[in-house]
Amino acid sequence: MITQDPSFWRAGAISSTVVMSIVLIFLTVDSLSAIAPGGRNVPRYTVINQAIDYQFDAARNRSVPVIGGEQLLFGRKYSEKEAQALMDKGKLTIQSRACIDCHTFFGNGAYYAPDLTKAWLDPVWKQMWMPMTQSNTREEAMVKFLMDPDKYPTWGRQMPNLRITRVEAEAIVGYLKWMSSIDANGFPFGFKTAETQ
Amino acid sequence: MMELGPIGTALLLGIFVLFAGCYGLLYAIARLKERSTWMNAAYACYALQVVVTLLIVALTPLTLGWQLLVIVSCLAYFKLPAIAWSHLELTHSKAEVP
Amino acid sequence: MYKSQQVALKYFAAAIVLFGIMVVAGLLAATQYVHNGFLLNQLDFSITKILHIDTMILWLLMGFMGSIYWFLPGELNRETEGIKLAEIMFYILCGAIAIVALVFIVVQYGGANEFSMWFINQGRKYVEAPRWAAIGIVLVVAVFCYNIIATTIKAKKVTGIMGVLIVDLLPLFALYLIAFASITNMSEDLFWWWWLVHLWVEGTWEVLIGCIMAFSLMQLLGTERRIVETWLYIEVALVLGTGILGLGHHYFWIGTPGYWLAIGGLFSALEPLPLLGMVVHAVYDAGTHRMKTTNKPALYWMMAEAFGNFLGGGVFGFMMTLPQINLFSHGTQWTVSHGHFAFWGAYACGILSVIYLALQKAREIAEVNGGRWKWGFALLNLGMVGMVGALLISGIAQAFYERAIGGSTLQAFIEGQSNMWFVQGINARLIFGVMFALGYGVLVYDLLTLGKRKAVQPALLRPA
Repeated sequence: MITQDPSFWRAGAISSTVVMSIVLIFLTVDSLSAIAPGGRNVPRYTVINQAIDYQFDAARNRSVPVIGGEQLLFGRKYSEKEAQALMDKGKLTIQSRACIDCHTFFGNGAYYAPDLTKAWLDPVWKQMWMPMTQSNTREEAMVKFLMDPDKYPTWGRQMPNLRITRVEAEAIVGYLKWMSSIDANGFPFGFKTAETQ
Repeated sequence: MMELGPIGTALLLGIFVLFAGCYGLLYAIARLKERSTWMNAAYACYALQVVVTLLIVALTPLTLGWQLLVIVSCLAYFKLPAIAWSHLELTHSKAEVP
Repeated sequence: MYKSQQVALKYFAAAIVLFGIMVVAGLLAATQYVHNGFLLNQLDFSITKILHIDTMILWLLMGFMGSIYWFLPGELNRETEGIKLAEIMFYILCGAIAIVALVFIVVQYGGANEFSMWFINQGRKYVEAPRWAAIGIVLVVAVFCYNIIATTIKAKKVTGIMGVLIVDLLPLFALYLIAFASITNMSEDLFWWWWLVHLWVEGTWEVLIGCIMAFSLMQLLGTERRIVETWLYIEVALVLGTGILGLGHHYFWIGTPGYWLAIGGLFSALEPLPLLGMVVHAVYDAGTHRMKTTNKPALYWMMAEAFGNFLGGGVFGFMMTLPQINLFSHGTQWTVSHGHFAFWGAYACGILSVIYLALQKAREIAEVNGGRWKWGFALLNLGMVGMVGALLISGIAQAFYERAIGGSTLQAFIEGQSNMWFVQGINARLIFGVMFALGYGVLVYDLLTLGKRKAVQPALLRPA
């Protein structure tokens, strides 16, 4: 019987691997175009100059990011180049401090600290951190917290002081704002932003 | 009818594969020992897997496509141990022939 | 004994040491969940976590390399080509690991600049090692590939297993190059990062362990080459046939298009099928040989591999892989539970099996048995099952309270983490972690003293 012949299965192994790899390559090309800044699912970095929200879309039966009008970050308007530089710095800060080894991004990482996918939109900044840090804006509250987390203990588990500079903290905030605008197929589920609350 | 949430659904899906595993394991032991008691136990496990499949279809919020996938895999799990076993016997018996 | 096998024993020794560091780091991280403020600002969770998961990757990798260096000369009836170089690379790798670990523990992190990426911490899960060390790993893997390919060429003989192994080495090497990337766009970064993590772990590693198990089966049970090669091909066809696009289950929520929900869900739903086939196969092998072997621990660890892989990968994986469920379970302790079980079942047990086999030959032991290995086996496996059970309870509580009803905000996260079920689960995990650590202690003691203890009564020995 043919199924007893090793070469039959060798051919099967090779062909299934090759076919699946080719499909993966095609899907990769399409996915990379969808997730490039300005692609179908990921806005340009200059989206940080605009208001961002996350609302339930009944037609798609899931929450989607909603981009609104102008809402400046740190009171300034970032050009394309400046936004790129801010994002580069933000990502480098996130990597150098190994944020992903406590937090998650899009649910990927460690599970010791909260997911940061929509952290920019979290109602807690307005409710708790702005009064606690005596800040007038959410970004200012975030920067103060990131620079001195031990000054603002929140609950039992605390964030360590990672000696984040002001420039780095601002870059992280910008990065988190941009990240909150990415369409992640409804993840995180049921997230209630400050606006929707 | 009562509809399960995601957690109940997840547990059912886990139990679904677990019964498939028990069925496969008992089936293999039954073939090895050539005893009908083991085979009956194997089929009992498979029957439970069918019940879990029905529960998944009836009670969970999974959409039609995923429900069909569960039904088809339930059928595949029935045949898989038998196919694997007969293939094992075939390859081994052939190897013994000088 | 071939020189290659002596190098293999060094790799095994290093793997077991790293396994120990992994256990200690895991206990520290587990304690940080239970006791707030434990080592805060001294050895933060991020660092204990990095030590835990990076040593896990490294000890498995060293276990794989050791296994191949062990079996290669027997397979091709000759000494491994360039084995001196392999030995030098072994010491370089050990030195590099020690330096990286020290930097992680002492320096911990740097500023947002390229220097940090090159010399301190790249801050990407599993591949945190700074770039200089990543280059070192690339070189070690390159030498490993050279050893295997050159020996095969010199032997002028490509067996089926060797063919599969060589084809597998190329992606194993190439995919690791992704470890150097520092892509600004998080979606794209994670996209490629999953190519590395998933296609390594659920692709090339699966094939590698398949080859290693094929070698082991021939040695342990004397199974014929034709049979193991046929089954290796079947396994490769099924594992890669489902696993390559199973990559899609990591692309549900990172910003990638919606079609990944269907593709990832479908292919990962198929992944338990080959694992069930392996369970049937294990019963057949064990049964037809009536568990008769001169190396009981190796056989039991191999059985644990088949069952652990099915339970950890198959059952725990299928529970959470469909997108409608994964929306809630993703990124919770549920994932941790699945991760622990799957890595343990799919790889760790297999490597321990090979180590027992290798030590039997190296120390010329007629029959490996006795009571001690059973304690190690039982404590490690029960500890692991206890940990994953406890984490499953925590994970379910988290998925429910944080996601399903909480709305996934920071406040919801805190409520989930403070929930009684979550807390009890995470406490129980630490207890079972201690049990696992005890098992590790017994395992090490057994491995160290194997064949050096009082000889077994000759009357009890079966003919080898």
